Amino acid sequence: MRALRAAAVASVLALLGLLVWDLVHQNGPGVAAKVDKGKAVPAPELVLPRLSGEGNLSLASLRGKVVVVNFWQSSCYPCKLEARDVAAAARAWEGKEVVFLGVDAQDLKSSARAYMKKYNITYPNVRDALGKTWPKWGVTGVPETFFIDRRGRVVPPHITGQASREKIDAGIRRALQS
Amino acid sequence: MKAPAVAVVVAALVLVPGALACTPRASQAALESRLVCIECHTTLDESDSPFANELKAEVARRIALCQTEKQILDAMVAEFGKEVLSTPQTHGFDLIAWVLPIGGILVGAVALAFGARHWSRVRGARVDSTQASGLTPEDELRLDEELARFDG
Repeated sequence: MRALRAAAVASVLALLGLLVWDLVHQNGPGVAAKVDKGKAVPAPELVLPRLSGEGNLSLASLRGKVVVVNFWQSSCYPCKLEARDVAAAARAWEGKEVVFLGVDAQDLKSSARAYMKKYNITYPNVRDALGKTWPKWGVTGVPETFFIDRRGRVVPPHITGQASREKIDAGIRRALQS
Repeated sequence: MKAPAVAVVVAALVLVPGALACTPRASQAALESRLVCIECHTTLDESDSPFANELKAEVARRIALCQTEKQILDAMVAEFGKEVLSTPQTHGFDLIAWVLPIGGILVGAVALAFGARHWSRVRGARVDSTQASGLTPEDELRLDEELARFDG
């Protein structure tokens, strides 16, 4: 009976340990909430496979430039509405210490590639098949756009929903000045 | 002579795809219950989100290409990982998901059986000792003495 009691206590303790571990490893609201309060926060690590081409692309490799990170999905309607503006902004800011990075999430590769072709998206895009990066960034839906300054900090503004060309340009200018 | 030639071309265009079409080797309904909409965390047949509809269309396209259920599931796992499956696989590491609950039930049943046996033994022993006399040897001796005095 003593062994049985010890096993029961051990099981309860193990379950409690799991609960604590889960609580400790929760991501919280992500960087979006802090940026929306006007704070500049270090950009979460982002290393994902490229949507076109081979290998992974790391956000850290773009340090030293302003990075516009745009989360999207090919079946999302507001993403389609903003796609041409984002692509045009990327072309306009090319070679001016500004790079764009698209993060396609929860999408079929074929659909995502067709989307990129349709909207003439030529800047680098990575694929987050399961949307695992979303919690760290605090992304709650697509599209969402973040601006990272040259020091690798996510700075305001953070655009939720369809991004217009004006909003993107304003975000870039602000990131260049920070 | 041009009209018959056009007719042949039209007939070929109509008939050839039909001849090339195969008997479906997988069921759309079965696959929709085995695949999860990653966005909404339900099986495809329970979701009507744009992403789920896109996956359903992809499944239908692959069925039309005569792919088997396994081929379609493998393609989806290659695209999204095992998380896209509604039930864990029955081999490799995923086997734990099946074995652990069954093992837990078995361990619980064995523990319960041992416990029940132990408790019934303890209870039986108590009943036996109560039925035997219900008194300690000292009390029995004292009772005998009292009875002897009473008789005497």
